[in-house]
Amino acid sequence: MLRVIGLKLVRLVPVLFIVSAATSLLIELVPGDPILAIIGTEGHPEDYERIERELGLDQNVAARYLDWLGNIVQGDFGEQITRPGVTVADRLKQTFPVTIEIAMIGMGLALLISVPVGTWAAYRAGTRFDRFSSGSAFGIISIPSFLAGLLLVFLFVFNATIPRYGVLVLGLAWSIWLLWSAGREQRGGGGGVIVRIAAAVVVAGLTVWLTNKWPSFPRQGFVRWTSDEGRLENLRSAFLPAVTVALTEIAVFMRLLRGDVQATLQEDYILSARAKGMPPVRILARDALRPSSFSLITLAGVAFGRLIGGTVIVEAIFRLPGMGTLIVNDGVNTGDFPIVQGGVLILATFYVVLNGAIDVSYSYLDPRLRRGR
Amino acid sequence: MAVDTALVPDTGYVAGTAIDPLSHAQRLIRLAVGLVGGTAAVIVGLMVLTDVHAGYRVLLTVGGLALLFMALDNAGKLFRGPLFETGLWLSVIWVALIGLSAAFADFLPFTESRDASVTIFEGTPILKRPDLFSANPLGTDRQALDILGGIVYGARVSLQVSVLAVAIGILVGGTIGVVAGFFRGRLDTGIGILTDSLLAFPPLILLLALASVMDRTPRNMAIALAVLGIPTYIRLARVNTMVFAEREFVLASQAMGASRRRIIFKELVPNVALPIFSYAFIIIAVLIVAEASLSFLGLGIQRPDPTWGNMIAAGQDDFDRHPHLVFAPGIAMFLTVFALNRVGEKARELWDPRQANL
Repeated sequence: MLRVIGLKLVRLVPVLFIVSAATSLLIELVPGDPILAIIGTEGHPEDYERIERELGLDQNVAARYLDWLGNIVQGDFGEQITRPGVTVADRLKQTFPVTIEIAMIGMGLALLISVPVGTWAAYRAGTRFDRFSSGSAFGIISIPSFLAGLLLVFLFVFNATIPRYGVLVLGLAWSIWLLWSAGREQRGGGGGVIVRIAAAVVVAGLTVWLTNKWPSFPRQGFVRWTSDEGRLENLRSAFLPAVTVALTEIAVFMRLLRGDVQATLQEDYILSARAKGMPPVRILARDALRPSSFSLITLAGVAFGRLIGGTVIVEAIFRLPGMGTLIVNDGVNTGDFPIVQGGVLILATFYVVLNGAIDVSYSYLDPRLRRGR
Repeated sequence: MAVDTALVPDTGYVAGTAIDPLSHAQRLIRLAVGLVGGTAAVIVGLMVLTDVHAGYRVLLTVGGLALLFMALDNAGKLFRGPLFETGLWLSVIWVALIGLSAAFADFLPFTESRDASVTIFEGTPILKRPDLFSANPLGTDRQALDILGGIVYGARVSLQVSVLAVAIGILVGGTIGVVAGFFRGRLDTGIGILTDSLLAFPPLILLLALASVMDRTPRNMAIALAVLGIPTYIRLARVNTMVFAEREFVLASQAMGASRRRIIFKELVPNVALPIFSYAFIIIAVLIVAEASLSFLGLGIQRPDPTWGNMIAAGQDDFDRHPHLVFAPGIAMFLTVFALNRVGEKARELWDPRQANL
């Protein structure tokens, strides 16, 4: 196992090298002039040349890249060109936590909801639960994230009464349905009457509490985790972006899991586990989920990378000070290459380490892959 | 036909036997109620109530459409048997409708949706609310451009770009993936490093760079999106190849002395191709979203050519008071992506071997 991890770490180096070299080449292609951003359009040509020399921008791409690489190896990310005196490391330290927090809350929400729902839908394939959850997943997956973000803004910021009373009506309807089914069980002589009544009371109570304490969400902006305004404010400002990010992933994971688990459930070893009298929950969690976790984890890795690199859409909708905004607005648009280089390097490292960990986990999940390497 | 519904799992049918859980009479009643109630609700919502809050009208119309769907569903199951998939057929119809109207957009009688100087000259009001029986059925935007026309021309761009991108992606990514998955070893490591680099690269910067050196034409957008999709295809094909390469029939073929080329082309490619192809519709849907996201960020195809993304981006600033600017193109895109996903799901059910043996 250690050898596998070691090999993965060795592989990290060429990937990061290729990514950073390609980044500097691409920035060279993108129009955007950092010196123009400093001196403005009224600046004197002599000033322009002086600044260009001072910043070393008169050198060619290869020389600049090697300079940058030399500094990086010593742990120096350099300074932002358009704002002299501000180090890139500081900017990264400010923006990375925002992006990572949104991505992690989103990913957590997605897994928390999709794994149980998807597995259960596969086990109860064809039932109302399956049809409802699969149908919802279908609907959700077809909503692009920027549209979902705008929809959430429309519902939770501009028209907060709609979801609030929606929750009230649905929650009360649910609890009435529970009471009704308790009555049906009572007449039919079935069990679980008390459980149903208790559930109805809990649902009604929760609904009323939630409607009473309905939180308001900001249209834009971000309160930091470490700020004085407290953790609650932080979560409040991260909630809508995280849900936006999570929505698509929930649906993607759920669909994958449902299809995969359903196929696995046809296998003989599941039949034999059933024949042995294992309870369904145990069969699902221990036997059926394990082979499916293979593809789920691959997908989750790709999804997380996409999420980290692609939060720029969510950051644009909610105006968040994250990595995407930093790289695109402060970096690419002005040609500020240390920002872009540093930002891309951090994102790429994160992504490659994550996927390396996933590859290692394959051999843990599927013993057949352990030999041969 | 009276069937005890408690004994039959609530799937609408029992595999093979096609017993309808609802009786003939029940279906007829639902059909009639849905048809009458749905039509009435839609008419009242769209035409009769004009001075009520828009929210109630939307609610009423959506409710009416749901009733109409119920009527259609029951009619289909009544006349075509209980296995009839109403949603699937509606999806096929929608995809066909969007495809045809995109193809023949130039011959359709839309009011101007591209050139703002024409609408100024004609004096079309800006930010007109949707009114189905006017020259601008879905309203106009801030520049008095027709939204319905924009949606149809946007559909043309989206479909062109995404279909082309999927074709390129499958061809290039699939080939590389199968090779990597079969030969393993150093070649696989090399391809793995390249894939990782491509995937580790923030897609936006890649697209930005590509977009700034190339003209933002549909063809170039397709190439850029295909580049983004290729690593995913490589991984999909590689993992599938690895799984199939472990199977007995490959071992048997090896034992019989088959050449590596024969194993790849006769044993692996047919098995790997089908699951990959069956994802094509779904990936087209994903790419439509990707293209729209790019236009939304202003990195895709630019005005005056309308795309769903740039229409929504332009409507974003006014959408608390004029939600139709965002939701009209948004719903069109949602329906298209939804329909493609629905059709794609059926394609996977038919062609993906893992799905087929249910």
